[in-house]
Amino acid sequence: MGRDKKLSCLERLRPSGIQSTIIAAFTVISVSIMLILGIVLYIRFSTISREAMVQSTGMLMEQTGETLEDYLVSMRQISDAAYYNVIKENDLSARDQEIQTKMNLLYEANRDNLQSIAIYNDYGSLMAAEPVAAQKEAPGVVEQDWYKQAMEEMENMHFSTPHIQNLFDDGTHRYYWVISLSRAVELTDNGVSQLGVLLVDMDYSAISRMMNQINTADNGQYYYLCDSKGEIIYHPQQIQISDGIISEDSEAVAKYKDGVYDLTFQGEQRKVIVNTISYTGWKLVGVLPYDALSAGTINIRYFIILIILLMAMMLALINRVVALRISSPILKLNDSVKEYEAGETPEIYIGGSSEIRHLGLSIQNSYEQIDTLMKKIVLEQNERRKSEFEALQSQINPHFLYNALESITWMVEGERNDEAVFMISQLAKLFRISLSKGRTVISIRDELQHAQSYMNIQMIRYKNTFSVVFDIDPAVYSYCIVKLVLQPLLENAINYGVEGMDDSGEIRVTGREENGTVLLSVSDNGFGMSEEQGSLVLTGRSRSHKHGSGVGLVNVNNRIQILFGKEYGLQIKSEPDEGTTVSIRVPAIPYTEENRKLLEQGRIWGREGTQDTGTQEKQG
Amino acid sequence: MKKGSKIFIITEAVLAVLVCLVAITMLWERRGRNLDQLSVIVADSDDTQWSAFKYGLRMAAEDNGVELFFVSTGEELTVEEQQRLIQTEIDNGADSVIVQPLPGAEEMLLKLERKLPVMLIGYAPEEDGVSDLPAVAPDNYGMGTALAEELLEDNGGNLEGKKLGILLESTASQAVLDRKQGFQDTVKKAGASVIWSVETGASGEWPADMTAQPEADCVAALDDASLTAAGAYSSSNDLQGARVYGIGHSTEAAYYLDTGAVECLIVPDEFNVGYQSLTEAASQLRELFYRMRDRTVSYTAIRQEELFTKENQEILFTMSQ
Repeated sequence: MGRDKKLSCLERLRPSGIQSTIIAAFTVISVSIMLILGIVLYIRFSTISREAMVQSTGMLMEQTGETLEDYLVSMRQISDAAYYNVIKENDLSARDQEIQTKMNLLYEANRDNLQSIAIYNDYGSLMAAEPVAAQKEAPGVVEQDWYKQAMEEMENMHFSTPHIQNLFDDGTHRYYWVISLSRAVELTDNGVSQLGVLLVDMDYSAISRMMNQINTADNGQYYYLCDSKGEIIYHPQQIQISDGIISEDSEAVAKYKDGVYDLTFQGEQRKVIVNTISYTGWKLVGVLPYDALSAGTINIRYFIILIILLMAMMLALINRVVALRISSPILKLNDSVKEYEAGETPEIYIGGSSEIRHLGLSIQNSYEQIDTLMKKIVLEQNERRKSEFEALQSQINPHFLYNALESITWMVEGERNDEAVFMISQLAKLFRISLSKGRTVISIRDELQHAQSYMNIQMIRYKNTFSVVFDIDPAVYSYCIVKLVLQPLLENAINYGVEGMDDSGEIRVTGREENGTVLLSVSDNGFGMSEEQGSLVLTGRSRSHKHGSGVGLVNVNNRIQILFGKEYGLQIKSEPDEGTTVSIRVPAIPYTEENRKLLEQGRIWGREGTQDTGTQEKQG
Repeated sequence: MKKGSKIFIITEAVLAVLVCLVAITMLWERRGRNLDQLSVIVADSDDTQWSAFKYGLRMAAEDNGVELFFVSTGEELTVEEQQRLIQTEIDNGADSVIVQPLPGAEEMLLKLERKLPVMLIGYAPEEDGVSDLPAVAPDNYGMGTALAEELLEDNGGNLEGKKLGILLESTASQAVLDRKQGFQDTVKKAGASVIWSVETGASGEWPADMTAQPEADCVAALDDASLTAAGAYSSSNDLQGARVYGIGHSTEAAYYLDTGAVECLIVPDEFNVGYQSLTEAASQLRELFYRMRDRTVSYTAIRQEELFTKENQEILFTMSQ
């Protein structure tokens, strides 16, 4: 049921008119093209935008990495300068002033990035420091990471992670966040060579300044710095990480080589760009959450939507104009054809493209031809029917009048006045019914009355040499029949049946209704016909008229069939030396004024009502 | 009008409306939405004790995308002055304020809360034991107790016969009074007696000579200003050898611990006071049905030898910002 409903809904949606079909087709095509175009454009633009973003991030990181490297190199150079130019060349005790001066020069030249330069001996005692400041009581130098690293791996310089400098008390009650560059050095103190550690404490703010400069995006993109173990050196949310408010996968990222990686961290997809700072092994990491990448494409998205909407507006307009232009002449032609079908006589529309103009002209010509042909057919039919009737009736009247008048003449001549009066009165009845006010359809009662009068006249004329019996079911009296159809049958029965049978001739007229059909029969017990002769009677090629009006059974048959249809008419049954029965079959149509008029207008009484005779005949 | 024409006009109209909407959205996106404004009003705003708090505020402002205004105030801030400053901030477009409640400011703050979201820091004023305003604060009573427990630990759990002195600001807020209560409750149980309690005078200055006070075994400084003062006294040996225990959150306080002038330091997590108060306020501005809630931040007891552990270095880092 549900599926049927859906199907019927789809059926309802199917465009019925040519205009809606064209618009629907154009709309589907244009919307599909626009969507495909929009999606392709968006994917292309967003890919380019993302690639550009990743590329610019990579370049920015490269620059920052280089700046960081330069900074760290300069720190190493300071360390080298302090070692090779100051420490190695001088005895710390003997030339402490000179050492101090040189260290001071170094410090002053780089004070923006430096916190302090200090030299410790292998016991952790301070040998020299710049800027000069009071050393804290028991700062536990040898326990500090930078010192231990320098002593453990003497051949290298070591960069620590950021930490609070816990060495000096400068009286400001402040603590400095530094990154220590330490290395083991060879000292000469009082002429004795010993190991020591040279410490260059870099101001952390120099590095955080560099990193802050690139951490300005407000779209979620950020950069951080960690060491090779993933320990954070700088992060824009450093304290949030250590407080556990947020977290960072720096330990995992620290293991990656330089490059761009697609990672998922805590359910968030992001691009991670890794850049290694040389010598230190530090990793400069750029994090681009996918949201940040999408944020860059939002404007592109809106722009493409805007373009698509404007295109849709234009296409809707173009669709409509094109559809109207194509369909308008067809619709006008269709409208004029519809008016024609509705019975009006409009001018058939001729316009639009050459094909449609040709179509209009063809339809117009066809309609004109049909009109002409219809008129011609109707005219011909009417003419034919009229001429047939006229011909038939003209055939009847002169014969009969001639015979009747001849009989009356004989009676008058033989002074049989009563018979003549009777004959004349019967003739008057006969003619009254014959004329019937010009009607061609009368009731069976009148037709039988006419037959009775006719037979009375003929009986007088033939001196009662045969007998006539009327055996009529009264039910058939009130049905319709074509006038003057029994008379020719009776005339034939007399002339070819009972004439010359020496008082033994009998003519029997019967009438009854069978299954909606009225059957009127005229039977004689005359000489009859062979089967071959009988078959020729209704074709008009029968024996020659030796007597009678000259109106044959063919005429009677034609008249019945013209009015009632081909299925009705005459039937002949005859046996040689036994007699002949001629039956009239007509439909049982009650005789009313309305039915009479319909029949006379040429309407055939059929099962579905009345039909136009002309049409019926044309179809036949 | 024909059905086809109607559909065409409706389609064009709908598309035109969509074009306008997309164009407006594009312009809106390009211009960017206005950031919410948050103003913070605390007494003596330039003092180093607020360094970690300010850093927390700044980080939270970046994380939440709000505009932060830290109002500059003098050492002495009265309720009237605070009210005037708040009103100025509201007039300048502040969407929410974070305020350090002053004694007697409860009524003013409750009235203010009807106009815009108000978040308190340090402590929440209570009326019949119930606070109507949200606050982000450490457990002040708990910190007083923790300070006393550190003292107990150094004395083998027994303070019998010990004489104690207390230093606190005269404009002490409820927060400091709670700490005092927590400290006193614990030390009294342990048998110690508080022989003196010194507050700053009306001028906000500490007495020049503390030697006039009876000799105490230990001195408890219950707020940052008191602790730095106690540290200074201790450094100049004005406390006659009394060991100093205190609550503080400035680099000065840490410095006195580092130099041994202070035995033990209880440090409230001021970074998180700033971070959480602003996050709560920003959440209420951002989310329609969000209501700010009370938050309690942690505190850490630090001894001299623990000052430079990794965790404590981060505390120092926030203080140094």
